[in-house]
Amino acid sequence: MDVDLPYAIHNIAALEGHDERAWHIAWNPTKPLLASCSADKSVRLYNYTSSSSLESPDLKFSHISTIPTGHSKTVRALAWAPSGKTLATASFDSNIGVWEQESSSDDDGDGDGHGHPSGEWECASLLEGHETECKSVAYSSSGTLLASCSRDKTVWIWEVHPDSDFECMSVLMEHTQDVKCVAWHPKEEILASASYDDTIRLYIDDPSEDWYCFTTLTGHTSTVWSISFSPCGNYLASGSDDRTVRIWKRVEQHKWECVSVLEEHERSVYSVSWGVGKSGTAGSLGWLASTGGDGRINIWEFTEPPDTDAHTPPKHKLIARMASAHDVSDVNTIVWCPRAGHEDMLATAGDDSTARVWRIVAA
Amino acid sequence: MAFSGALTLTDLNDFITPAAACIKPVEQVKSTEVAKAPGSAPTEIMIDSAGSYFEVEEASKAGKKLEQAQISLNDCLACSGCITSAESVLITLQSHTEVLSVLGANPAPGECGHKTPVLSIAPQALASLAAALSSSSHTPTDMRRVYRRVQAFCAQALGFAHVFDTTFARHLALREHAREFAERRAGGGRLPMLASACPGWVCYAEKAHAEMLPFIARTKSPQQVMGTLVKEWLGAKWGKRPDEIYHVSVMPCYDKKLEASRTDFQNELYATRDVDCVITTGELELLMREKGWDLALPVPGELDAPPDAVFPELMEHPGTSSGSYLHTLIAALAAAAPAPVAHTTKIVRGADYEEHTLTDAAGAVVFRGAKCYGFRNLQNVVRKVGREAGVQVGRGAAGRMGGGLRARVKKGAAAGEEGRGYDYVEVMACPGGCVNGGGQLKPPADAEGYERDWARSGVDVLPAPDAKWGDKEWNKRVEAAYWHDLPTPPASPTPDAAPDADELAERIVHELSGERREKLFRTEYRAVESQVLGLAVKW
Repeated sequence: MDVDLPYAIHNIAALEGHDERAWHIAWNPTKPLLASCSADKSVRLYNYTSSSSLESPDLKFSHISTIPTGHSKTVRALAWAPSGKTLATASFDSNIGVWEQESSSDDDGDGDGHGHPSGEWECASLLEGHETECKSVAYSSSGTLLASCSRDKTVWIWEVHPDSDFECMSVLMEHTQDVKCVAWHPKEEILASASYDDTIRLYIDDPSEDWYCFTTLTGHTSTVWSISFSPCGNYLASGSDDRTVRIWKRVEQHKWECVSVLEEHERSVYSVSWGVGKSGTAGSLGWLASTGGDGRINIWEFTEPPDTDAHTPPKHKLIARMASAHDVSDVNTIVWCPRAGHEDMLATAGDDSTARVWRIVAA
Repeated sequence: MAFSGALTLTDLNDFITPAAACIKPVEQVKSTEVAKAPGSAPTEIMIDSAGSYFEVEEASKAGKKLEQAQISLNDCLACSGCITSAESVLITLQSHTEVLSVLGANPAPGECGHKTPVLSIAPQALASLAAALSSSSHTPTDMRRVYRRVQAFCAQALGFAHVFDTTFARHLALREHAREFAERRAGGGRLPMLASACPGWVCYAEKAHAEMLPFIARTKSPQQVMGTLVKEWLGAKWGKRPDEIYHVSVMPCYDKKLEASRTDFQNELYATRDVDCVITTGELELLMREKGWDLALPVPGELDAPPDAVFPELMEHPGTSSGSYLHTLIAALAAAAPAPVAHTTKIVRGADYEEHTLTDAAGAVVFRGAKCYGFRNLQNVVRKVGREAGVQVGRGAAGRMGGGLRARVKKGAAAGEEGRGYDYVEVMACPGGCVNGGGQLKPPADAEGYERDWARSGVDVLPAPDAKWGDKEWNKRVEAAYWHDLPTPPASPTPDAAPDADELAERIVHELSGERREKLFRTEYRAVESQVLGLAVKW
């Protein structure tokens, strides 16, 4: 434990139950609900409530449901729609599943407001088209677009229509290798994708035409596994097999450049997540969490320096870290809770088939 | 090489591209002579630094270089490794060099083993040549002149006995298409009927969406109708067996090579294909350059009417430059309707996805069709048709994700007139259709007379604008050349525009009546089971 860091990472839950490696985990943006997925092809759903126990005053997580999914292979990634009502699954069987909770006649929605939904989760739509393994899926901030990517080197953009209908808007064949991750800008309709070809590509829509790649970010020297925009939207973080985390800054409307390289991992960085944080520091750009093959969790705080110009890197400071977060196993995904009041809470999924929940507390 | 499209693959973002490296060359069929005595030493395969495969006998450690397995295009058709085809394979197996070597080895006419060389060229290929010529020479050259010059080149420089364009074959295909639609509508098959002329789409459906196959028209494409015309009808006229004719076609599309290789279009008896070799527009251009032929130079009599054309030439089928399948159907339906019907068009997204509706005087919809080009729109058609027809979509987990999906299908089906499904869809895999085929000439990058007008097309010039936008403009040029520089596309089709062609068509059907009409103009499709998925992808 690093005693000189201002924050510590406390484990508040260890969620077991998957039979095989846990790949991904996703917080519902509107309800106290957490979903994890695994090579065992299932999705497990947990809710969390305030504990009344004095001995463990933090949240209490309970398994409430398992979706067997019907995917014929690993469920690799998850994404909640901003409404919190729809969950998308990306599977190695090359399909994207879209899941909604059956509305139950005598229980409208949340029931007691603490997320004891009663209806079964059913597959509302199945998005086919990818030729091989889907690696990632993401909803745009408005919830009107869904992006997916695959080992077939393509990125697909779907428009979300009423009644769980989807229309394919674009098939982007820009990458030369396996596409590992897609992420949407938090405010604008800008899509980013990261690939085994070591690049990150950013796309926008030309209203009279099709979506197109407006810039390619190069710098990583190996696979880019994960990308996450900062909450303000002016920065993008990327985690790579080259063991670094890079910070890219929007220096012009359509121009992004690398402003920082963080080297705090000993193995591949598999996942990055940029949350708003809970420090109250002036000029804070939020907290960035990273994890990967070394089993380590790193938390940085980013702040906008005064007198900043377009190319000034943000100030960063490692504020917390945790070694062996999943014991000896790789950690595949890390993600901040997006719900108000829980900005200091994050979840991880690891090769030890568990999902874990952590809180960042002042040391 | 900058001008030629022959050896460069397109980088447009909407094509169906092979996603996998071809694994077929690694497969090795043991030749009989290496059959070993029982109990002989085991062997292993080793790969040297140059990537060659060696078979090494463990006892001796002596290496014997293995032959690379030959891939036939039939392997491509049967393999689900890549969705359409590896162009590198297509280029090596049916190339302009193969045309040259076959022609070079052809005994003189009258000698034993002589084959009559025949070439058929698609109108989209002529349009591509015409557009390229017009943009490089400042004097517009229309398609008819280009056709005459190509005819002269093929006859004089290559020694082809006959050169045709494929529009009359298309006329036959369109007639058959309308006939098939009528049959299906009368209960003899499923609707919507989906166009069958695009081999990229057919291959994709066979490999990824077998549930779509019952909907794809069984009418042969114009290329294959031309194959039948040349080998069966003309062959009989000339007193030639099918294997005594060498038939080359020039197409805007690489996948046409694959189409010509389908077993359905092979004549087992004579061990020959209806179309022996397919080259692309770009490969034809390459041939002309290798032979030092300048397409810009007029040939004598190029403005005269042809003296004794066997088939009507450069027939126009108003509607789309990809064959006008939808518009011809609409025209036929409108002509056959007991009372006048109104034709309305709605743009769903861009020029590549349009809906066409015929309504009667009471406002009831009598026909709904769509034109749908490009991989993205094709995805939506597959979804829409699958949903409306209630067929299980694709491979994978769909079947088991059951309950909820089914419920929604019913809800969708009850949506009423507004949600009425399509009766017909003209599907093409390339955005822009066949004028933008992968085998067409690429726009002359910065040749005179062609500039990319970024500002006027309303595009903010971003740091790295690539060729996509330019290609779009270029396609407009090819499209204009296709329609003979008339306003594009011309006014609505008139079904009786080609009485002579129809008369000839009837005569041909009659003269070939020894064959079943089915065999002459229809074909079949087969689902390709996914077997190598995952193995063939470069990780």
